[in-house]
Amino acid sequence: MATEPIETDERVADEPILRTDELVKNFGQFTATDRVDLTVERGEFRSIIGPNGAGKTTLFNLVTGALPVTDGRIYFDGEDITTLSPAERVRRGIGRSFQISNIFGGLSVRENVRLAAQSIDRDRYGFVESLFKPTHRYDGMNERTSRILERIGLSDVADEEANALAYGDKRRLEIGVVLATEPDLVLFDEPTAGMSVEETRETIELIEDVLVDQTLLLIEHDIELVMELSDRITVLNRGQILAEGTPDEIAANRDVQDAYLGGMME
Amino acid sequence: MIGGILQQLVDGLTIGVVYVLLAAGLSVIFGVMHVINFAHGELFALGAYFALALIAPFGGTAFFAALFVAPLLVGIIGVAIERFTVRPLYGRNPLYHILLTFGLVLVINDLIYLIWEPGNVNLPTPAILSGTIDVVGLNASVYNVFVIVFGAAMALSVWAMLEHTKYGLIIRAGSQDRQMVRNLGIDIDRYYSLVFGMGAALAAVAGIILGGYQTVSPEMGMSVIIPAFVIVVLGGLGSFKGAVAGGLLVGIIQTLLRTYAPILEGTVIFLLMIGILLVRPRGLFGVEMEEEGGELLTGSGGVLDDRTRKWVGLAAVGLLALLPLGAGTFYSTYTVTLAIEILVWALFALSLDFVMGYTGLVSLGHALFYGLGAYAVAIALLHVSQSAFVAIGLAIVISAAIAWVVGYLSIRVSGVYFAMITLGFAELFYNMLYRLEITGGSEGLFGISTYYGIAGVGIALDEIGLFLGPVTLTGQSLFYYIALAALIGSFLLTRRMLNSPFGSVLKSIRENEQRATFLGYETTRYKRRAFVVSGALAGLAGGLFTLNSGYAAPSFAYWLHSGEVIVMVILGGMGTLYGPIVGATVFFGLEEILTGFTPRWRLVLGTIFLLFVIFLPRGLVSLPARLKPLVTRDSGPGAEPAPDDSHMRGDD
Repeated sequence: MATEPIETDERVADEPILRTDELVKNFGQFTATDRVDLTVERGEFRSIIGPNGAGKTTLFNLVTGALPVTDGRIYFDGEDITTLSPAERVRRGIGRSFQISNIFGGLSVRENVRLAAQSIDRDRYGFVESLFKPTHRYDGMNERTSRILERIGLSDVADEEANALAYGDKRRLEIGVVLATEPDLVLFDEPTAGMSVEETRETIELIEDVLVDQTLLLIEHDIELVMELSDRITVLNRGQILAEGTPDEIAANRDVQDAYLGGMME
Repeated sequence: MIGGILQQLVDGLTIGVVYVLLAAGLSVIFGVMHVINFAHGELFALGAYFALALIAPFGGTAFFAALFVAPLLVGIIGVAIERFTVRPLYGRNPLYHILLTFGLVLVINDLIYLIWEPGNVNLPTPAILSGTIDVVGLNASVYNVFVIVFGAAMALSVWAMLEHTKYGLIIRAGSQDRQMVRNLGIDIDRYYSLVFGMGAALAAVAGIILGGYQTVSPEMGMSVIIPAFVIVVLGGLGSFKGAVAGGLLVGIIQTLLRTYAPILEGTVIFLLMIGILLVRPRGLFGVEMEEEGGELLTGSGGVLDDRTRKWVGLAAVGLLALLPLGAGTFYSTYTVTLAIEILVWALFALSLDFVMGYTGLVSLGHALFYGLGAYAVAIALLHVSQSAFVAIGLAIVISAAIAWVVGYLSIRVSGVYFAMITLGFAELFYNMLYRLEITGGSEGLFGISTYYGIAGVGIALDEIGLFLGPVTLTGQSLFYYIALAALIGSFLLTRRMLNSPFGSVLKSIRENEQRATFLGYETTRYKRRAFVVSGALAGLAGGLFTLNSGYAAPSFAYWLHSGEVIVMVILGGMGTLYGPIVGATVFFGLEEILTGFTPRWRLVLGTIFLLFVIFLPRGLVSLPARLKPLVTRDSGPGAEPAPDDSHMRGDD
């Protein structure tokens, strides 16, 4: 299992954490992802930008397994994961964060986090045990849950129904849930969509604080934010990679200015 | 021979056209509003009855006038149904529309019984449509030709309307992306009533022309609705083209099978639907549609704290245990018989709650497993062993195994398609029960006796008399305790499972399946396991019923049974385990009381159910929490029970 730290540490030196090879996704006649070669190094903060319809979310769906690829391969930690199920990819260490509505609203805050912790743990328990032993008697899992609740500052409201949380706390919970799956790579699809400037700030700070050890892959519309945060930026346009580089390089790139930034100003 | 086949084709085409009109309305209603309209069959029947009433004073010549006026009236009823019952439920899970329209079936069907005489009636047709004519060398009945031509013209004009008018454009756009249409500033909601009314009118037309072809009867709606669903599903929900192709296909296949292979009639169309869904999960012409969200509203039991809850539970069990002791003294022994039936159905409802209330899998064919358990017990007792233990054991194992297979095939499709495919499996089984020798055909299996023991050592309940002071417990009363133990055992077992890691994954799937997947859970596998547990328990319920009553009949697996058990779960409150038990009790209690006043008790029950779906979707068990604010206002803080329990669900 890739979740054991020793094994992953050995790979750091030679393999990028994520690599796609000539990735293609067609929807009928329409090519949403067009021979994308993406390489993300371990520990990076990578942003993916591009105009609407550039294929950013499709790319995410391919990496997380939400959509099957038409052609090409995806490697995570050097291993080919192209045909693995989404669940299996999560267990290898690819976490995906959704917008806040994507929590288990009817369950308690603790249960939300615990479910994530349980997912990582579940091979340790027998079939019968996992069917009949009450969850509150799994000590290791519950301890980790409590630690994460502490870390995201939701210990006090742990027994509230998740639906009842304030907006910002839901955001925290969502990130806590991702953290509890112990990912090496986390994909964020517009985590700040619809937020005010201040909320956006807080959310980003939270992500940077809580997920400091993870490799982050972010789709974001707020260019200023992207320029400030990212180690590297990949620009997609019409399914293809238009440019890639540091924020400075991207800002100076003529193609990007023409195709993308120009379009944004309209 | 060739002439015979051609004749069959004409007959098949006639039935096919009726199906097309029926399915077109269903399909468009689903496409635009995402409403699965179970009441469509009743609107179809209503069309025929209205025509009957309109024609009666004038004779057959009024047929054409009725063909225009009756659908108009039914259309108006359709508009009213949409406006007052369907509309309040938009935004909720599509399940609630299934439930609502199922309630409407009960109500409208009983109204038909109430107003018109039961039994088959001929719908008078004008003289001009009688006799035969030659069509390309074939001697066809004029009425058949009329149906085919008129039906085709109707279908064409609806298609032209959808395809070439502004109204049709908006409807089609709405079925693609409702929100987008709203964003364009079009008030699509206004069109909903019209679409519903139009679908209802089409159903009425179909009812009238079929009524003139065959006969009119109160059961005619029930008998067409399931084939109509099969057509819509295999054609692709929301696809007009699919409804036409599916309707003609099913009409012709059915007619040909009836003549040439009657043993297959009734099974082939379900096999066809299941097969098509497995290869093309969206049906023949179906397109990807926006997934309808909307949560399932589970019962919240939050007014009692843990300890009180425990005591209430124990007290309830204690009272139930005492029930047979008073039989014959305080009330008749019939009470015990009724109580056994309630316990068995409570167990059945509990089994459904496990998949529906906790996993979000709305099985519309759960009677399949109930019937399977019943027949497994009957066949085991007749052919394998007379031991009740062996028979029940077999019933559980067989139901679980079939649940695994059905689950394996059905869980690949989701939401409404899952509901439909489970319905398909159940109807397939129901039709097989009629045709197989081992299941005793339409009469079922009966006169079955058993003993409680194993390998020939044991005793029949009738031979036992337990003397406890003034009361004697015999046969029925002893079985009552067996049923009670089975229910309590199943309750504790499922509750235990729901508190385990397995159970918490099930709940997470109900809340948000996509998120559960991205926590690393293979949700399909969990759903399948839950389905097996549920199927096994439903089989146990059916098995117990047969063990006690000594018979098994095809009606056990009929779709109305699947509907009734859903009614019980909702009535009580799903996602609570004890809610369905309450629901079953209330359901049978109401039936018992109402049958004393009227044979049309389903009308009252259906109305109550409708009100529940609209106003109290979380069921009876949520009533205390709903009423709490009203009560505590009067009685002050002293009476307020554990305030911070409001987040507690039934599954604590």
